[in-house]
Parts: sequence; C-alpha cells; structure tokens
Amino acid sequence: MAAQLKRGESTAIESLYDRYGRLAYGLAFRILNERGAAEDVVQDAFVSVWRHAAGFDASRGSLRNWLLSIVRNRAIDRLRGSARIRTELELVEAEPRAEVPDVWEAVALDLERKQIQEGFNELPDPQRRTLELAYFGGYTHVEIAGRMEVPLGTVKSRMRIGLEKMRTFLTARGAMG
Amino acid sequence: MNCAEAEELLGAYALDALPEDEARRVEEHLRSCAEHRATAAELRQTSSLLPLTVEEGDPSPNLRVRIIEAVKATPSHRVDPDTAARRAGATRVVPMRRLARLPNWAARASRFAIAAAIVLALGIGGLIGYQLGHSAQGQVAYTFQGDPTAAPGAEARLVYFKDRKQAVVAISGLPRLGSGQVYEMWLIKNGVPVDKGVSTSANGDLAAQVSGDLSQFQQFAITIEPGEQQLPTTKPILVGNLQAGSA
Repeated sequence: MAAQLKRGESTAIESLYDRYGRLAYGLAFRILNERGAAEDVVQDAFVSVWRHAAGFDASRGSLRNWLLSIVRNRAIDRLRGSARIRTELELVEAEPRAEVPDVWEAVALDLERKQIQEGFNELPDPQRRTLELAYFGGYTHVEIAGRMEVPLGTVKSRMRIGLEKMRTFLTARGAMG
Repeated sequence: MNCAEAEELLGAYALDALPEDEARRVEEHLRSCAEHRATAAELRQTSSLLPLTVEEGDPSPNLRVRIIEAVKATPSHRVDPDTAARRAGATRVVPMRRLARLPNWAARASRFAIAAAIVLALGIGGLIGYQLGHSAQGQVAYTFQGDPTAAPGAEARLVYFKDRKQAVVAISGLPRLGSGQVYEMWLIKNGVPVDKGVSTSANGDLAAQVSGDLSQFQQFAITIEPGEQQLPTTKPILVGNLQAGSA
C-alpha cells in the first residue's frame, strides 16, 4: 500500500481508509468528542498522507502510525486552538521494517490492539490518567500537574514509568521487539 | 540541558507534553547523547501505540466519499520508480529461504518414527521423545489451532530446540491444496513475516523443519500460496503466538 501511495495511485488511499478509517475516526472522536470536527480532522489527515506520501519512509515507522500521529496532532491542534510545531515521526523506531502486504496487517492489527489495550489498562490509575491527559488531551506536563494537583516531578515520572511499563508488558508478550 | 535534566523529561517529550522551548532543548541534548536518543526512541515508539487503545468509531458513510474526492483534487508528490526502489532496497529485510524439509539429524534417527509422527499426527512428542530424550531442557513445545473459518480442525505442533536454533513442526488437518498451490510457513517479527519455506501434502498433513532463533519472533503462521512467495499474499490459515509457549 505504501508503494502504491508513493506512485501516486489514489486507490491506495481508499484501501488505507477501509482499513484504518474507523480507527482514525475513533481517535479523532476520542480527542474532540464531536462528530463533525472529528470527520474534518480525519479527512485532513488522509489528504495530508496523500500529499506527502512520497516522503514516507517505512524505516521510520509504519504507515498506520504515521496516519494516526497526524490525526492525533491535528485533533489536538483543533482542541487547543493552536498549531504547535511538531516533528512527526522524528526518531521513531530505529529498526527498519519491511513493507508488509495489506492482507497481513489487518490480521496483525487485531492481535496487536488487544495487547496494547490490555497493557494500557494494566497501568495504575494515576499513570494511565497522566498518559491520557497528555496524549488525548494535549496538555503539557505543567498543566497536568495543575489539573491533578500533584508536583511536576510526579507527573514527569508517571509519564516515564507509565510508558516503560507498557513497553515491558508488550515486550513480554512479543508485541514489541 | 545536561543529562540529568534531560533524563527527567524524556517521558514528557515522548508524549509531546513539553512546551516548545523545552522540547527543543531536549532535542538539542539528544543530538549529542546517544544513550538518551535510544531511550527517547523507545519511549516515542511506545507512545505511538496509544492511538490503538481507542475503540474504532463509526464515521458517517459519506466521509469516505469526501476523502476520495478531496484526494482526487489534490496533487500527490510522486516518486519515480527507480528512486522508490532504491529507497525500498535500503530498508527491505526479507530473506528468501529455501524449501524446508526434515533435517538430516531427524532423518538419520528413524524414518519409521518420523512417518509415524506425521501420519498419526502424534506429534512431535513421539518423534522427539524417540530421538532427543536427553536434551529435554532445551526444548519449547507449542500447539496451535487453525483459523476457525479457513482451516477448522487444523492443528500444528511445534517443538523448538533452543541450542540448535531449529524447530520441527507437524501439522494435521490442513485444507487441501488446489493445483499449483503450496503451504508456506512464516515467522513473524514485529509484524513482518519472514519466509520459512514451502511444502505440499496430498492429505493435509505435513512435517517440516523451521530454522531460526524463535526467541526473536512473535508468531508462527501458515498461508496457502500460488507457489513460494517472499511475503504472504493471502490471509494466514493458522497463526500461533510463539511467546506463549510452555516449556
């Protein structure tokens, strides 16, 4: 699919939408809690993937994660009313990935999502809530400290430890290498 | 920013939860600190999975149409195929493996034992017990069921020999092959399938050797293909989780 996109075949966007459209919308709706706004963000994100497909580098991460990171950032910008400058997909995934056939990813995605949800739900409440406020709320560490009424250092360590616990959980189950 | 300051901020950085000036200072530090660069990449990789914790939603049906129309009205930046091929070549890591058969060390032991294991699908338990009883500690055994729709009743028994970095797999009850088709085996690492050879069988039962360090892979899978493929072109008829095996 990534190769088709790079060649400028618009049918690849249809396949991408059929596979990840519902997830992309679910993510946008989770952040914005409003149908119309969520759909606008999803549309923008797919058009953005289309426009920039030539620059997509599979060694830096999957097409799915790229799409979802765009959805997330656009939704947060809309929610927070400002476009923060971001470096999408910078630094992500040091390990090169081969391009995976379409049919395969759908099967893998389902298994993977269950494990990730499980790993996230296993986190102690304060850590999970901290990650949620940052990722789905777009709040900075200082803002989260204010909202949760805890010291800034606590927020920083909850973020770090929460992510590390998820990673450990997923690595132990083979969902992450 | 020094190492200790950066260390504290890496989680927030990975979650995109730093004000811009602070994020830039972390990035400056990362340029000169390989250790924190690796940690940041790991944390960022983990945070990139957070969107997968949400439930899928139901957008209105016309969103698909809107997107397709918007895309058709937008020029894409194309890449010429040579450039694309060169770029892809740099990151493509899909080794081609040849046909896997039973290993010589297995064949030497007893053709009768092997045949019995295959035909009766006793498993590999019988086969291994016969020839490798002395190295039970270095083995991990798995049993996988076929996909309930595509291969109901199929069962794979796989035994991995850690010290040899080889596994033997006996599979029974696979759907019959059509003309020109083969069963192809895969080991999957981080969602990327690696070809582990093809096999055919007239009755849906087969046994084969799979080489590789299985601790590096998360799943084993079988597809039915029109001849050996570098990557699967069809849905797997059997998928098993290698990390859930019992010793």
